[in-house]
Amino acid sequence: MTALGLHDVHKSFGITPIIRGVSLEVGKGERHAIIGPNGAGKSTLFHLISGRFPLTEGSIRLNGEDITGLKPYQINRRGLSRSFQVTNIFPKMTVFENVRCGVLWHLGYRYSFWHNTRKLKDANDRAMAILQQIGLADRAQLPASFLTYAEQRALEIGITIAGGAEVVMLDEPTAGMSRSETAHFVSLIRKVTEGRTLVMVEHDMGVVFDLADRISVLVYGQIIASDTPANIRNSKAVQEAYLGQALESHGEAEH
Amino acid sequence: MSDATMTAARGNPALDLLRRYGIWVIAAAVMIVLPKIFTSGAALTTMCLMGIMIVFSLAYNMLLGQTGMLSFGHAVYYGLGGFLAVHAMNTIAAGKLAIPLPVVPLAGGAMGLIFGFIFGAVSTRRAGTVFAMISLGLGELIASLSLILRGFFGGEEGITANRTKMLTLWGVRFGPQIEVYYLIAAWCFACMIAMYAFTCTPLGRMCNAVRDNPERAEFVGYSTQMVRFITFCISGFFAGVAGGLAAINFELMNAVNISGAQSGVVLLMAYIGGIGHFVGPILGAVLVVLLQVFLSDLTGAWMLYFGLIFITMVMFAPGGMAGLIMLHLPLWRRGTLLQIVPSYAVMLVPVLMGLAGLVTLIETSHHQLVKAATDGPAMKLFGIAYNSNSLLPWIVALALMGGGLYLGKLWGPRMADAYSDAAHGQDSNKREAGK
Ligand SMILES: Nc1ncnc2c1ncn2[C@@H]1O[C@H](COP(=O)(O)OP(=O)(O)OP(=O)(O)O)[C@@H](O)[C@H]1O
Ligand SMILES: [Mg+2]
Repeated sequence: MTALGLHDVHKSFGITPIIRGVSLEVGKGERHAIIGPNGAGKSTLFHLISGRFPLTEGSIRLNGEDITGLKPYQINRRGLSRSFQVTNIFPKMTVFENVRCGVLWHLGYRYSFWHNTRKLKDANDRAMAILQQIGLADRAQLPASFLTYAEQRALEIGITIAGGAEVVMLDEPTAGMSRSETAHFVSLIRKVTEGRTLVMVEHDMGVVFDLADRISVLVYGQIIASDTPANIRNSKAVQEAYLGQALESHGEAEH
Repeated sequence: MSDATMTAARGNPALDLLRRYGIWVIAAAVMIVLPKIFTSGAALTTMCLMGIMIVFSLAYNMLLGQTGMLSFGHAVYYGLGGFLAVHAMNTIAAGKLAIPLPVVPLAGGAMGLIFGFIFGAVSTRRAGTVFAMISLGLGELIASLSLILRGFFGGEEGITANRTKMLTLWGVRFGPQIEVYYLIAAWCFACMIAMYAFTCTPLGRMCNAVRDNPERAEFVGYSTQMVRFITFCISGFFAGVAGGLAAINFELMNAVNISGAQSGVVLLMAYIGGIGHFVGPILGAVLVVLLQVFLSDLTGAWMLYFGLIFITMVMFAPGGMAGLIMLHLPLWRRGTLLQIVPSYAVMLVPVLMGLAGLVTLIETSHHQLVKAATDGPAMKLFGIAYNSNSLLPWIVALALMGGGLYLGKLWGPRMADAYSDAAHGQDSNKREAGK
């Protein structure tokens, strides 16, 4: 069963084509990584899927339903949630509230102005459970802007998964993290996306080969390969276009 | 307004109840007792106006402080609410309808809600500057209509009503001002609670989310436009209630109540009080009404002072009065609040010097420009008689201002040090210096 399906997706900014005909199927429960050089259009692809930008051409389906042209909040309500490459949180609100914001709609509270959030046991418990999962429980009452970078990245993921979306998209979750933080994060991502579909952009090949069931390689707005990690590693085309350098630099960093 | 879920879980339930509701009990007690302390007619009128403006500025801050929407035309909903309330009072009196006066503000609220719905549907499609511009445009539109549609708005003179001609309950006819005060106080109290409760609801919390980061709010399932729209309607309702209270209080509504100036005043009240905290607009409403009443008695240039206070606040205390108070709350908790009193007291010298100079400058100019032609150059300030066209007062004024500024610059850092010592302990200065 396909969770997310892209059909011949194009995107141009002005006359500059950035995404040039991407078709992609991500199965239910699959962990799918999208890799590619800087400026390949990975984040742009995320923006297209999540409704932040309109497509120039093509269509996108979520669980078989057409979501092309829907607003971000409509797509989110249908069970797709995403994180951002550049941390995108509610800086003045507490860490706890940041996560609860991700919970409220999906527990059916919507635009209610007749519930007292302090008494919403289900929402508060769920937010607290997420905080425990992402290791920020003891930071709950701090304004989010007080967190360290790594903690803000964790919060970013916490907000993303809080609503219980079936399809979770993470844009470079471990970017800018130290080795030990990354290791911690990989196990965190594995834990919180248990039983969900994960689409992830990541530059760290260690993380990619560790987590992904399938990998797509995006180069200059086109997917040049989409396969299992083993096949991607051995693919000649991928080696030439991208992976050669990426694996080398990854290897160097390890020594 | 921070979430109390965590803190509520532990501790004594009775203490918790006190912590949560104690402030409301105190507020109610203060509102009940105030007219027993300040019994003069002038004080009573002032307090009535405060009650009305508290409701209005809190309603306004639902937009500005909580949702991040800067409106330049919120007097539309206040004014329309007020006008409808006047008409309602007249209709009820004429038809001898069995509707008592205390429910009339609801008519104002309904009017605010309806027009909040209509105009909100247009203006909340966009946020930021576009929203601000639309609110300004709508404000001007309605203000100019108020002079054209004489039937509803009564033209320049406005429309009057008589609040005593209504159904009387338990012998209360709302003739004397004190009865009106308690009517306003009751409505004010109920509205404060309702608007505070709003901040705790899912929508109220999402207002803050939309203010902080509208983009992210869309990715957790919320349409920012819908959040803005519903909040706008609710804010319109409370602004309308405030207008209804004003109609009862003054028994008159005119074009001024719906003008851009009125929209400006509510913005000033919220801002001076502090838009970042729920109590801010309450403090602001109280202070601004006090200034309006007393300053306008003291000097013809009171609008100028008003503007200067606003600019000073924006520049040096963007958190408003509430922000200043919150800045000192940690000191209170640490028990170091008294420690900063000496350094603050020292700062009073340059502040008072500068103020004296500024007041002399403004008052002398004001006299020279406005009154000298008819009354002659002789004037009196701080009990000192002098000639406004002699050079000396100008020199004294400038010297005072210069001296105040100089000493302020000299001693300011010391005050800041004293504050951070009190707030973070002695070591903090070294750390700051190390950065
Ligand atoms: N809003 C925009 N307007 C115009 N050009 C854009 C816009 N957003 C992205 N681009 C361009 O599209 C290209 C792809 O950008 P994108 O951010 O999708 O790359 P990426 O693969 O995520 O790269 P990175 O690995 O550095 O995050 C870049 O050349 C970028 O300059
Ligand atoms: Mg990117």
